[in-house]
Amino acid sequence: MFGSHKVKIEGELLEKVKQCSDAAGYESVDEFVIHMLEKETNKILPQDESNTSKEDIQKRLRGLGYIE
Amino acid sequence: MIILGVDGLDPDLLTKFMAEGKMPNFAKLAEQGSFRRLTTSIPPQSPVAWSNLITGMNAGGHGIFDFIHRDPKNFQLYFSTSKVEGPAHSFSIGKWVIPLGSGSAEQLRHGKAFWEILDENHVHNFVYRIPANFPPIDAKGKTLSGMGTPDLRGTYGTFTFYTDDPTAAVGAVEGGEVVQVDVKNNRVTTNLIGPDNTFLRNAPPSTEPFTVDVDPLESVARIDLQGQKFVLKEGEWSGWLPVEFQLMPFIGNVKGICRFYLKQAHPRFQLYVSPINIDPSNPALPISTPSSYSRDLAKEIGEYHTQGIAEDTKALTAGVLDDKEFLQQSHTVLAEHRRAFDAEFPKFHEGLFFFYFSSLDLNAHMLWRLTDPQSPSYDAAAAAQYGGALEEFYEQIDQVLGEVMARLDSDTTLLVLSDHGFAPYRHSFNLNTWLWKNGYITRKEGFTGDATQPFADVDWSRTRAYGIGLNGLYLNVRSREREGIVEVGAPADALLREIQQKLLDIRDPKDGSPVITRVDLASEVYQGPYARSGPDALVGYNRGYRSGWQTILGQFPPDVMEENTNPWSGDHCMDYTKVPGVLLSNRKIPAQTPALTDIAPTILSEFGIAKTKEMMGQSVFQTR
Repeated sequence: MFGSHKVKIEGELLEKVKQCSDAAGYESVDEFVIHMLEKETNKILPQDESNTSKEDIQKRLRGLGYIE
Repeated sequence: MIILGVDGLDPDLLTKFMAEGKMPNFAKLAEQGSFRRLTTSIPPQSPVAWSNLITGMNAGGHGIFDFIHRDPKNFQLYFSTSKVEGPAHSFSIGKWVIPLGSGSAEQLRHGKAFWEILDENHVHNFVYRIPANFPPIDAKGKTLSGMGTPDLRGTYGTFTFYTDDPTAAVGAVEGGEVVQVDVKNNRVTTNLIGPDNTFLRNAPPSTEPFTVDVDPLESVARIDLQGQKFVLKEGEWSGWLPVEFQLMPFIGNVKGICRFYLKQAHPRFQLYVSPINIDPSNPALPISTPSSYSRDLAKEIGEYHTQGIAEDTKALTAGVLDDKEFLQQSHTVLAEHRRAFDAEFPKFHEGLFFFYFSSLDLNAHMLWRLTDPQSPSYDAAAAAQYGGALEEFYEQIDQVLGEVMARLDSDTTLLVLSDHGFAPYRHSFNLNTWLWKNGYITRKEGFTGDATQPFADVDWSRTRAYGIGLNGLYLNVRSREREGIVEVGAPADALLREIQQKLLDIRDPKDGSPVITRVDLASEVYQGPYARSGPDALVGYNRGYRSGWQTILGQFPPDVMEENTNPWSGDHCMDYTKVPGVLLSNRKIPAQTPALTDIAPTILSEFGIAKTKEMMGQSVFQTR
């Protein structure tokens, strides 16, 4: 359904990516790049309305005496 | 200048107690100076009211409309005055998630606080636990955050109750958790529940083990928490115990403090543990300016509640603490505030000294039923035993005032004020249920999802209005709400007026009383850049009535009206004209109808500082 896409990273950028990936403890450059892309796309696109996070927020709010 | 900010100090109760000779210092102050009713905020909720006082603006200026706000794009609900978030970036190693950077706490109130302006003008100031100041804004003076400060778990107070009673309702309760334990060979082995461990995938709650050895014969128990061993008798509270939650070995830990109460050793084991408070000696989140002040205060007076609303009303509501035990805990809170007052007040020699007390508000919420025979939760036996409890808190505040007046000189202006008064809360009105039954909300038929989620089954394509928070009425506006259908302009105005009139026409079927006595339109009562950011209308309930418990978070109880049988039996989230606060001073106050928005200009005027152009009011000492 979603397909796949290849991206080529080379030269200085590749060196930087490798350094960051090593420093942050990722198991591979691929894992690091995918994770960074996930983070950036989540900032741009609407977040999924996770029921878990909504529940968490409501749980916190229910600690207020005004609410049951 | 000295200001005592006494949350919820009610003018009618004050008048009564003064007349009965129970508050001689207030009586003296009123006689020698002035006593006025203080117009509260629209709506009369503490975060709104204190924000009015702090900024000199109403909600249109400071952007705080209720305890609860919503994001119109996704209906995410959130606490109005502050946001606490984890780090924006992290990476994973196996099961571990490593944050890159620390989390953040953000102050959401807009506008300049009066003490910021005092700082700019080099006026020394001290501000203790003023609400709606978490995280505390940058300040030159000492400030400590109050209402709005979370516990270590990021909630507004989550207690834990450990019991071996097999009939206990185990799991999450409102404001707490009930944990089933076993007493094996007279020992309980269990865990304290801490903040979510965001170092782990799925962020489960962190835990720290502790053991309780229950004496087989005597009603005592010995508790061992991280090497701290102490004994409690049945009915005894511990002091504050530090606890460290290890989130990631050698790298991440977070410190808090908590108190234990041994409710029962035999025949059932029952142990209450307070919400884990941020440790003032090692704060995990910013709670003071300078950052060292919370620690310095703890060194001077001992550890203290840092949680914004410290009185554990939820534990009383859940029946985990009874009236006596709740009062013990409440008195501890006031005792801490008085120790802080006794430590700080002698140091005051110049500038502004602002000190806040929460006790009258939280105890009026919980104890109103003990002096209100018409309350659905009135209990004659409890009333006979504890009916004087609220009065005792009022008397303690009078004692504090006496300490202030003993030091007052002719150069010092004293104000004693409250953000709102109080009224009985006997009946609930479920606004969202009313909107649904009157065709303003359409709900999907055959919905099988989780109905406890806000507006879980609402068909927004056929919904014109909804309620969120304690007083907020919103239209489902096109281009504002995610699936808005009401056109801005004349259609929205007409719809709002229609709903306004219908709400005002509602009568209690039991006795014909009006349930709602005013509905203020935001466009008419709010001024400032945020006037259109909050509710479209504010529902003002008559005395005795309040928004129901579930409708606040977008749920639909089956009935429009319900009896309020909760011990939380007094409230103020009503028609603002029916719950004014108080303003007393050692000086004559020419203003006959001062308001909260006059206080910031008053403070500035005392120090020869002009109010800002955004401030709506004027000094209460100015002849009008």
